[in-house]
Amino acid sequence: MMTCKEVSTLVSMEQLDGAPRVRRMAVWLHLMMCRHCRAFRRQLRRIGEVARLIASEIEREPAAAFENRILGRLGF
Amino acid sequence: MRDACRRLLGRECRERGPNYSSSDCKNVDPGVTHVVRVFGGPSGLYTGTNRTPYDRPVPFREHIALEALRERDPVALRRVVDQHGRRLYRAARGMGFSPDDAEDLAQEVFATFLQTIERFEGRSEVGTWLFGILYRKAHERRRTHAREEPLDELDEAFEARFNRDGSWREPPIPADRLVAAGETAHALRECLAGLPAQYLEVFQLRQVDDLSAADVSGMLGCSINHIGVMFHRARVRLRACLEAKGWGRSR
Repeated sequence: MMTCKEVSTLVSMEQLDGAPRVRRMAVWLHLMMCRHCRAFRRQLRRIGEVARLIASEIEREPAAAFENRILGRLGF
Repeated sequence: MRDACRRLLGRECRERGPNYSSSDCKNVDPGVTHVVRVFGGPSGLYTGTNRTPYDRPVPFREHIALEALRERDPVALRRVVDQHGRRLYRAARGMGFSPDDAEDLAQEVFATFLQTIERFEGRSEVGTWLFGILYRKAHERRRTHAREEPLDELDEAFEARFNRDGSWREPPIPADRLVAAGETAHALRECLAGLPAQYLEVFQLRQVDDLSAADVSGMLGCSINHIGVMFHRARVRLRACLEAKGWGRSR
């Protein structure tokens, strides 16, 4: 039986896809039974949602004539 | 980046962190490279909303273009700048650089590209080479400003949440008691700003851009397991930061 600490670490690392089936099953079973670890996973998901929300608000396009400034710096 | 990864990895191995085994340490340390995977560039890579991480550009006849670039042909250079410039800028923004710094970084990448083009053998795509330069430059810049933060404290904080038998000592707050996403955004923005650069980078690529651990591993030249550890630490740190700001206590 996996402990909450092991499960929450694995959930947080998000590398279960490549883990052996037995381990994936053990994590899944633990999550089914443990509301605290499910809450931990939901918290991480919430952080992800908010991070994506923040990312979507950041301006990621450079100012006009960006390419010309690069070429200018290169001496062209 | 390689040095940063080795340094971190060495530390991880010494700490015997989660999921680390001696074989990880043996396998990864000597083999890390700067950028080993072709990634066509983040037209959506860092947008968070339009995530198409591998919108690989259609390779133009690079063997011909390469000769032209070596001869400093303005048309060939313009083409490379048009094709990759904005992707580099967006990537730099996603790595947390300001608009001015991101543009400066993109310019520096092309300047370095021209300086080192004789060494570019054309085995990888130009985009891969450029993004490799970008990540190295970004890390150089960060080293200048970076604060070396002790990683041990974070582990202790995480460990402290559990009893000796591995059960929760301080269980997480159920999701229905968490404040709404919009209300959390302000706090998370501050927490992200306080995240060490190497964690922020992995967090952005894995969580925001939804790239696989294998993809990020290839891009940053770290082992998959190491990417997992850094992702875990970024999330734990963010969670602790949010909790310190009262996350989960309202409602």
